[in-house]
Amino acid sequence: MPSVVLQSVGRRFGEVAAVDDVDLTVGHGEFVTLLGPSGCGKTTTLRMVAGLERNDSGHIAIGGKVVSDAPANLFVPPDQRNLGMVFQSYAIWPHMTVFDNVAYPLSVRRAPKSVIGERVAAALRLVEMERFADRPAPMLSGGQQQRVAIARALVFEPEVLLLDEPLSNLDARLRAQMGEEFRALQRRLDITTLYVTHDQEEAMALSDRVVVMQRGRVLQDGPPETVYRRPASRDVASFFGTPNFIEASVRSCRADGDGYVLEIEGSEGRGACRAARPFEPGSAVVVVVRPEDVTLAAQQAAENGQLVWQGKVMAATFRGARRTLVVETGTGKLAVECPANRAAAIGDGVTLRVDAGHAWAIAA
Amino acid sequence: MTVATRVAAGLPQRSTAWSSGVARYGRPIGLAALVLMLGFLTVYPMAMLLYGSLHSTPPGIPGTFNIDGYAGLLTSETLIVLANTVGLSLIKTILSLALAVLLAWIIARTDTPGRGVLEVLITLPFFIPPILTATAWAMLGNAQVGTINLAWRWLSGTDGTLIDVYSYGGVIWHMMQYSTPFIFLFVVDAFRAMDPALEESSRMSGASRWQTFWRITFVLMLPVTSSAFILSFIRGMESFESAVFFGTPVGINVITTTIYNSITQRAQPDYQSATALGFAAMALMFVLLVLQSRMLRGKNFATVTGKGYAPNVTRLGALRWLTFAICIAFFLATVVLPIGQLLLSSFFQFFGFYQLDMLTLDHYRSVWRNRDFWTSFGNTLLLGVSGATATMALGAIVAYVTTRTRWPGRRLIDLLAWLPWMMPGMVLGIGFLWGFASLPHAIPIYGTLWALLLAYLALGTPVAVRVASAAYQQIAADIEECSRVHGAGWWQTLWRILVALAWPALAVGWVLIFFGIMRELSASILLYAPGTEVLSVTMLKMWSGGKPEEVSVVGLLMLAMVLLFRWLQLRFLQRRIRTL
Repeated sequence: MPSVVLQSVGRRFGEVAAVDDVDLTVGHGEFVTLLGPSGCGKTTTLRMVAGLERNDSGHIAIGGKVVSDAPANLFVPPDQRNLGMVFQSYAIWPHMTVFDNVAYPLSVRRAPKSVIGERVAAALRLVEMERFADRPAPMLSGGQQQRVAIARALVFEPEVLLLDEPLSNLDARLRAQMGEEFRALQRRLDITTLYVTHDQEEAMALSDRVVVMQRGRVLQDGPPETVYRRPASRDVASFFGTPNFIEASVRSCRADGDGYVLEIEGSEGRGACRAARPFEPGSAVVVVVRPEDVTLAAQQAAENGQLVWQGKVMAATFRGARRTLVVETGTGKLAVECPANRAAAIGDGVTLRVDAGHAWAIAA
Repeated sequence: MTVATRVAAGLPQRSTAWSSGVARYGRPIGLAALVLMLGFLTVYPMAMLLYGSLHSTPPGIPGTFNIDGYAGLLTSETLIVLANTVGLSLIKTILSLALAVLLAWIIARTDTPGRGVLEVLITLPFFIPPILTATAWAMLGNAQVGTINLAWRWLSGTDGTLIDVYSYGGVIWHMMQYSTPFIFLFVVDAFRAMDPALEESSRMSGASRWQTFWRITFVLMLPVTSSAFILSFIRGMESFESAVFFGTPVGINVITTTIYNSITQRAQPDYQSATALGFAAMALMFVLLVLQSRMLRGKNFATVTGKGYAPNVTRLGALRWLTFAICIAFFLATVVLPIGQLLLSSFFQFFGFYQLDMLTLDHYRSVWRNRDFWTSFGNTLLLGVSGATATMALGAIVAYVTTRTRWPGRRLIDLLAWLPWMMPGMVLGIGFLWGFASLPHAIPIYGTLWALLLAYLALGTPVAVRVASAAYQQIAADIEECSRVHGAGWWQTLWRILVALAWPALAVGWVLIFFGIMRELSASILLYAPGTEVLSVTMLKMWSGGKPEEVSVVGLLMLAMVLLFRWLQLRFLQRRIRTL
């Protein structure tokens, strides 16, 4: 049984539709991330699940129970939804100790003292904060506050765990470490998680499924690799890194496995690429090529189905492990990533090649 | 195996029926009660003021409606009163502002020694009831027997007069003692909290220290100083004690003293002209407040960031002893001198005759045996504690509704609670006087302690709302939301999170309002009846009855109370707020 179901949920602020007709299902134990630029409606969606914001269309169910049904004017307040939540600022109550903060969800449910002591200790052990139980909340570092916030959200075994950009207040190293720790914990507890972030790397590293949102709508919903490798639209593709978009027209199309293989023709010869749906011969497509999938080749000959361009290196940027080149070709400037030890001086002539499996066509 | 799974079992579920019932019916009922209560405290006295100003006879006596009251305002006499009111307040505000900004700069931005202590000393006059310093200065600055003049004659060997407080200058000086610390309190935190990077980047861009002050510091401070200026100006026009002590005896009258005189100092009280003048004063305040909000619109520079930094401190070198001396001089003139005078005159037979054989404790004995004094002492304590509690509770609720909810009607509530801002105590006093006298006899408020309590409640509400909403605004919304999500209901969240976090600020507000009630004279003097006097009223009556020495004794006792509460506030509350 799915833990969270949203059906055509929407929310308007005045004239603006912050969230527009969103459908989403989160299965039990699944880790789903809402990803998008700021203002895309991801936080509003999360807050509607929490009950902190009221949806004005559609309905939301948690654990099989409808908690919000706009047409029927049904709305369960947040305290009765049995959810754990980690806020962006952590919202650690400054007038309480670490113990009191974590004990709060139990004490408002009138759990007996002995139970509270035992469970708070267990929850703090889970996040390795048991030594800090008596510390006043204002005397914690950012990472410690985050651990306390997680312990507090887990202590009463909520139906679902909601996280609103929990890592954005941490520095880069701590961010990676806390992210991994949290993912391991989530797997171990098998707890359904809905996570909001604007950081694409974080989303891909942590999630079972990524839901890309923009202007209040869901653009694509799928596993991280699918969303990255097989974007549904230009918007989704350009949200992850800086892909090359190459215009081409379709010569032929055939089904192959779980997708289609297209023969395409661009301004500089022919080649093959893959697509999610069939295209009519002659129709215009945009081919998405990731910079790291382009290889620099010495010889001109193309292997079977490869896309090939001739060009000249215009700019090169050293990035430590990798080097980014901008290559001027007949179809325009292409970004290429290559190993840093690969010497390519500005002005050098190069041949660029891309395997058919790494070129992905979408509608122009 | 997991902790989380074990945690799940056996937590009691709260019933949802009860809380949804409260949400459905409790909210409209609560809102309606709030609107009615605020309406009674603000709209009702205003309406009765208008009614009274158009009615030819005192409340309860049949009469006709006419506009004689307003016609009477257009005399040269009233115009002089108006000019006095505005002029006196304007001059004292300009002088106080200059002094307060200097003091704030010294305390917040220089390396003057002992700044922490100096700050407490400089702000102390704000908490001393004006009637207390007024009686002291009447004895210090009397042209014939004032202590300062006696000392001057003794020192200089002449028989000249150095100062005479019964003058325009005296009225202004007395008002300044209160308004300087008032403006200081307003601006000092803005000086302190300003991000030094704003000034440093100006210096890095090539601006001199002087250019930086005028083009950066001054402009950034403009919203808060102009706001303090207008508020202080309004306070000055509402002021009663300074003018009634030092102006009225020499024919300098302002709006408040004219209202007071036309009701209490005439054989036939002239209610109509008093209410008409009161209504006109209220209209003037309204114009000023609108002006203020227009001036400040969109100018609320946020110079305070969450980052902890040490403000830019100017090293003054040897000059820091001069700035130290300025602060000490201000404290001496506004606190030590008046209190010394009260002490002095409380121990001598007659003030002005300070010889050893005139030393006595008679005044203390006489006050001790004075039944009226004990009554008013009890009344002040009772009204102070109950009034401050009720006002702060009302303010906390109003602020919650207006800042933390999106309930319909919250704008109306905000407006109603703000209305007393533009009502001087004297004006609210006559409004309530009419209002209470016109109530049916079954509601006996007129002439009881309730009358005073309700007036204090109305006068204190705007301050209480401000204090409470400032406290709530410091608590981020997600702190509350987090509690809701983790299972706490609306009431639980209110008590365990919001009130638990805001209570030190609310307690500070409570003390402020308590001080306000102790100090209040202008509404009390109109609303008291035999048996319901408060300390300030008793002091004024004793003063008029020619017992300045006993007034000194009462004043000292009042001062002891003020110092006690101020000490408690600094000792227990301020520190808690800093840690949060």
